[in-house]
Amino acid sequence: MCGMCGLLGGGRHWSNTVAPGAGANARRQRLVQVAHANRVLGLFRLRLDDFHGQSFVVSSPTGAREMADDLMQVWQAAEKMLGRPLDPLTLFIDEDEDAGNAIDGADARARS
Amino acid sequence: MSLAYDVIPVTIVTGFLGSGKSTLLADVLHGTAARDTAVLVNEFGEVGLDHLLLGAIDAQTVLLDNGCICCAIRSDLKDALASLFSRRARGELPPFSRVVLETTGLATPAPIIATLLADPLVAHHYVLNATVTVVDAVQAGYQRVRHPEWLAQVSAADRIVISKADLTDAATLDELHAQLLQINPAAQIVVRSAADDAEHLFAASQTVPDLGTIATRAGNAARRFEAEAAQAHTQARTAHAAPLAVPHAMSPPGDAHHLDDIASFCIEFDAPVEWPVFTLWFTLLLNRHGDNILRVKGLLAIAGTQQPVVVHAVHHLVHPVLHLDDWPGANRTARLVFITSGLTRAAVASSWQRFCRYLQPAESVH
Repeated sequence: MCGMCGLLGGGRHWSNTVAPGAGANARRQRLVQVAHANRVLGLFRLRLDDFHGQSFVVSSPTGAREMADDLMQVWQAAEKMLGRPLDPLTLFIDEDEDAGNAIDGADARARS
Repeated sequence: MSLAYDVIPVTIVTGFLGSGKSTLLADVLHGTAARDTAVLVNEFGEVGLDHLLLGAIDAQTVLLDNGCICCAIRSDLKDALASLFSRRARGELPPFSRVVLETTGLATPAPIIATLLADPLVAHHYVLNATVTVVDAVQAGYQRVRHPEWLAQVSAADRIVISKADLTDAATLDELHAQLLQINPAAQIVVRSAADDAEHLFAASQTVPDLGTIATRAGNAARRFEAEAAQAHTQARTAHAAPLAVPHAMSPPGDAHHLDDIASFCIEFDAPVEWPVFTLWFTLLLNRHGDNILRVKGLLAIAGTQQPVVVHAVHHLVHPVLHLDDWPGANRTARLVFITSGLTRAAVASSWQRFCRYLQPAESVH
């Protein structure tokens, strides 16, 4: 628990581990994780918020909200709201193809 | 009172039915060496017998019957460990310094490891020392094909002890050794010998994996499998051409397909990883494919710090990560070794690369 603000430490989940070193800060790391997770969940119009450094809240555009203790539970809650799996092996494939098409198009224009 | 804050190492001893778990324990746990050991025995049968077989040992023995601790009575395991600890703290039990947990022959180790790592009460007082899997040298070929539990036990092992080696020949042992390495290149494989049994049972698992050796083993196993598959293909064609040709005796039907699912591969990381990105990707991967990820072991370089991180995972579960002071050798290659069932290296590696491409430019969040 943080002695200054009284917040709890984020639980014992392995993803909360902070590497020792300059600039190490559990709260900052957690907010960075949430920001990155929102770039993933944003593709599906879901949203993630930190809850007092201890839990997460997953929200859907229909107003559904669910608490999650750690990132594993975040993905499970998101899958439940979406009604389909979030598979990292296929995530961002469309974005990669779009980027590839854009580059191909630019090359074609440059050649013409 | 200082005992109340000790952390006690737990060794999980698993292995298929009749592989020789109880015999190994009975042989090791006698004399002064066993006096500081508490033993939890789990049994599946109607009437618990294993604790009677162990009756002659000098250690404290607790029988967990009425079901298997990996599924039916996981809360019993938690209660038994908590009770052992509190009785030890109150002085009702001798101050044992380690616990050996013998599973049923049908248990898969992952849920047991989950109880040890994830339960708040147990996790504060116990630490996983090693998972030791006993493999029956005579029955291994049959059990490998017929029983998925055997595969789960072998793939989760830190150390594999081959029993009944005296009942088989050197060629079969070599074949078994190669197969075990193919399934779990991260494990230490030993053959039972009276002189070294205690060391095999109680030695801690390697904290820092020797990734060079593991990667070489994984590569050798993959090449060996490809060679075997090519040979099997040639044999099949020969058999087709000459109907009287006898199939290879060592390859029962379905064997190649069974092993075909298991792959061990190594992913190398050229640049230090962003820890928040890695945690998101890895939790997503384990959440969706944890059932098929039998084991992950590796060392990672983290952006912003010189200290490498050791990552160990079994199925959905990641052990507490460990920060080392420095790299354990001259080779500073960051890599993860995966043992998977049905997942390919290309799929996992390209998934990570896509994640990095998509999430790394998010400098605005820093």
